[in-house]
Amino acid sequence: MKASRKEALTALVFVSPWIIGFTLFLLYPLLASVYYSFCNYSVLKPPVWVGLANYRNLIRDDVFRDSLVNTLVYAAMALPTGMAVAIGLAMMLNAKVKGQTFYRTIFYVPSLVPGVPLAVLWLWVFSGKQGIINAVIQPWLDALSRALVHLHLHVTLTAPQWLTNATWAKPALVLMSVWGAGNAMLIYLAGLQDVPQHLYEAAELDGAGWWSKTWNVTLPMLSPVILFNGVMGIIGALQIFTIPYIMFPGGSPARSTYFYAMYLYDNAFLYLKMGYACAMGWIMFVITVALTVFALKLSSRHVHYGGS
Amino acid sequence: MDFRKLGLPALALVVVWAAYKSEQIPRIEQKPGPVHITYWEKWTEFEGDAIKAVVDRYNSRQNRIHVDLLSVSDIEKKTLLAVSGGNPPDVAGLYGPNVAQYADDSAVMPLDDFCKSYHITRDDYIPVYFDIGFYNNHIYSLPSAPASTALHYNKQMFRDAGLDPEKYPTTIEELDALADKIVTRKNGHIDRSGFMPAEPGWWNWGWGCVFGGKLWDVKTGKVTANSPENVRAYNWVRTYTDKYGAGELSTFRSGFGNFSSPQNAFLSSKVAMELQGVWMYNFIDQYAPSLEKPVLNWAAVPFPHPADRPDLANMTFADEDVLVIPRGARHPKEAFDFISYVESQEGMELLCMGQRKHSPLSHVSDTFYSKHPNPYIKLFADLPKSPTVVSPPKTGIWPEYQAEMVAAFEQVSLGKKTAKEALDYVQNRVTMINDDYQAQLKARREAGK
Amino acid sequence: MTTSAQGRQKKYSGAGRQRNAWLLHLFLLLASVLFLFPLVWLISTSLKQVNQAMQMPPTWIPKPIVWHNYYKAFHYHENRVTGEIPFLEYARNTVILAILTVAGAVCSNALVAYAFARLRWKGRDVAFALTIATMMVPFPVTMVPIYALYKNLGWIGTFRPLWVGFWFGGAFNIFLLRQFFRTIPFELSEAAKIDGCSEFEIFRLVVLPLAKPALSVVALFTFLGTWNDFLGPLIYLVDPKTFTLGLGLQAFQNQHGGTPWNLMMAATAMVIAPVIILFFFAQKQFIQGIAVTGLKG
Repeated sequence: MKASRKEALTALVFVSPWIIGFTLFLLYPLLASVYYSFCNYSVLKPPVWVGLANYRNLIRDDVFRDSLVNTLVYAAMALPTGMAVAIGLAMMLNAKVKGQTFYRTIFYVPSLVPGVPLAVLWLWVFSGKQGIINAVIQPWLDALSRALVHLHLHVTLTAPQWLTNATWAKPALVLMSVWGAGNAMLIYLAGLQDVPQHLYEAAELDGAGWWSKTWNVTLPMLSPVILFNGVMGIIGALQIFTIPYIMFPGGSPARSTYFYAMYLYDNAFLYLKMGYACAMGWIMFVITVALTVFALKLSSRHVHYGGS
Repeated sequence: MDFRKLGLPALALVVVWAAYKSEQIPRIEQKPGPVHITYWEKWTEFEGDAIKAVVDRYNSRQNRIHVDLLSVSDIEKKTLLAVSGGNPPDVAGLYGPNVAQYADDSAVMPLDDFCKSYHITRDDYIPVYFDIGFYNNHIYSLPSAPASTALHYNKQMFRDAGLDPEKYPTTIEELDALADKIVTRKNGHIDRSGFMPAEPGWWNWGWGCVFGGKLWDVKTGKVTANSPENVRAYNWVRTYTDKYGAGELSTFRSGFGNFSSPQNAFLSSKVAMELQGVWMYNFIDQYAPSLEKPVLNWAAVPFPHPADRPDLANMTFADEDVLVIPRGARHPKEAFDFISYVESQEGMELLCMGQRKHSPLSHVSDTFYSKHPNPYIKLFADLPKSPTVVSPPKTGIWPEYQAEMVAAFEQVSLGKKTAKEALDYVQNRVTMINDDYQAQLKARREAGK
Repeated sequence: MTTSAQGRQKKYSGAGRQRNAWLLHLFLLLASVLFLFPLVWLISTSLKQVNQAMQMPPTWIPKPIVWHNYYKAFHYHENRVTGEIPFLEYARNTVILAILTVAGAVCSNALVAYAFARLRWKGRDVAFALTIATMMVPFPVTMVPIYALYKNLGWIGTFRPLWVGFWFGGAFNIFLLRQFFRTIPFELSEAAKIDGCSEFEIFRLVVLPLAKPALSVVALFTFLGTWNDFLGPLIYLVDPKTFTLGLGLQAFQNQHGGTPWNLMMAATAMVIAPVIILFFFAQKQFIQGIAVTGLKG
């Protein structure tokens, strides 16, 4: 009895930083956030209770709705694309080709670049007039236009104005996020290397081709990792802030890149409606949890743990 | 072995040093001597030089107060953040149209008592410029650099179209007609345009005012976004889209260069007429000298009015940069002493001459005008005195209201909505925003906070 | 393997395998080009003259190569009002923060993870699950109350909000270290206990030395987080002389004038470089750390 009590006390001492941290930086803010969400709070003056007013206003707030839709649309685009690219790259790297470390480095390094310099770089790369992307694809588009003329289709294909065109701004952001897929790729690579070789051999014995092997062996074995990355990806995509904040102030063009976290930030620090921002924060939390639970439920049917 | 023993204590020392340094760096030292006040301004380049000259002269004239000028980007956001964080600058250079918001949020201190003790009254100013800082019966800001707008036009482009360069449009209908005569096309695409409401588009919220509409009923405190004049104005905007094609205009506009570069639409003779502000002269001077020398090929004239509303002649958008004392400033008294210098005739003319703008004061020295490089400066100084001058509505929701009006303009000019649809939407939405906002203000006031 | 399987294996070798290898190399090279070109373009622009930087069609190798851009970016004088952008100060501030956050993260998380991994106490596993759950809480939810907390403490405008929290543990690092600590054989702890060591001595003398790889992962990722942090400095720092590199880089973006892209890219390169250099020296740790999080997750 005494021994385990001593151990419990020791454990308490060891865990004490986290107890303080958890209470101060997680529990207290979560509860305070609930309270503030029912208040009108501008941080310059004490909060004033207004009941459900903030939530009522949110329902009627078009910008709130737009920012939520923008964020969900972006997540729906970015998540599958990023996943496909990361898994694809990991599979290519797993094939034990020459220079694996070299390629691995090239694919991973971009994800290390800090937010502000990255945004600045993208402003330069995606520029409609001076950007390297358009400079490279425009000649191809011109060639394509010329080819189409032979089919009696007279269209002039112009490279999209990524940063000023509402239809192309989100795809541009998706491309940027894919560029940072190196992190996820490494996790998939580690997962791939864990797949028992004998499963592949068994599949080959049954005459399986590349696609069949991938579908029946690789992906199921990788499914826990896919789940993990998927959940992390959802949480990350819903919070997107730095890059659009710097590249698209105000969510221009036409609010197509006004994301949830940006509107939350503006409400808190620009309009000084901190209570409103807290209400938004809670809604984001609920959505995050809901999506995670949904992902977990989905996974219980498709995810295979352990070797079987 | 010895190295490893040194390792941990050495690391610990580094951490302690870092902690010590991190405490030192943000600290504000209280040096003996003059009181140091911080002044955050948004200006850079020659505009920044102008305010620096004023600050330097103030600092050199006396040794009680020393102003530390700092040029800050994103100044409004940073100042509001600093106010909410509890340590703002003593003086901040913010934006006139947002004064109501600053006041409603108690982010700035009222200046009434200071103005009284320094004998600064409304009579010292061209009325509109004083009024911009006057809200809810209190003075919350004083002007720094004023602005007004006029129709700028390119005489050479007039000549190229076979028009008399001295016959500028005085009515909207004349403007439209001239625009049609000047526009040229190449390969089926617009090459040169006479006029486009969307260029430069800085007052897209205010086209209704050109037609006599108001955005805000001051007496009732209600939103009037979809008043008949406003709808008429946006319908007029729509005629340009219908005439030239939304896609055409979009493509044409995407070919414009950076605003401050020789590829600017007006400076590169792509657009013959546009609504612009008093600063445009500076850009012409720097990037398109051919418009000035050897012959003056540009002119600024009052913006046209609708032919059936001659009472709206000489209309201009008046705006200004303002100086405020943020709430929580450490040295408000000293801050206002500096502000009073900027508001003096000497300080103000030094600032406005340096920025090549006109002065917001009612008394201006003759040499100011005679020495001023902008050939049309007198026009920009006289227009704000006319009864048809327009300044943005003074309401705490102006940033949101403005955003809605701009979005409505975009939808109309892109052909996505009719003027009535767009403005009705704005009316409903902004009325709702306003009602909520007023209710929350009331709740706050009643709670005694 | 049976002989028929071996036979089929042989079919896969030879010409088929060769072709697959070539295809793979092609795809990998293509992907590499796509991933590398923004960075290459960054360097290329950073070494150009201003007018050449904006030229279309683009040239990849600048003629002439303007190394001076890096010097100019470092001593940028665009802001004539208040002098140069204090690049060095921003770097110093960022380094100081990095030191404080890394030290805090390593020390506090090691302690906490030890309790979860090597000690037995009632409710341990529930507490651990709770800890993991907190990783789901998005920062915007707690941002406002935490800001208000710091404001009431009078800490806004100082560096404290950016590093003090790291000394109280973080869910992610606790998770990482706990997984690793559990892989260290418990027999070693038992042996030390028999020798009469206190729990803290076991922690310090047995577990920590063996955990160096994991600790360096924590240090690495914390450093990266601090170097890259934008939102934190944005809301907590007030005086421009306290800004960090990420935040200060914005100063190059001139709102009214033309942004000098060549200088801006040079400055950007200087901010990115330390991170990339660090990666080259610590590749193994990076990859190990990421693998552990993904696999055992």
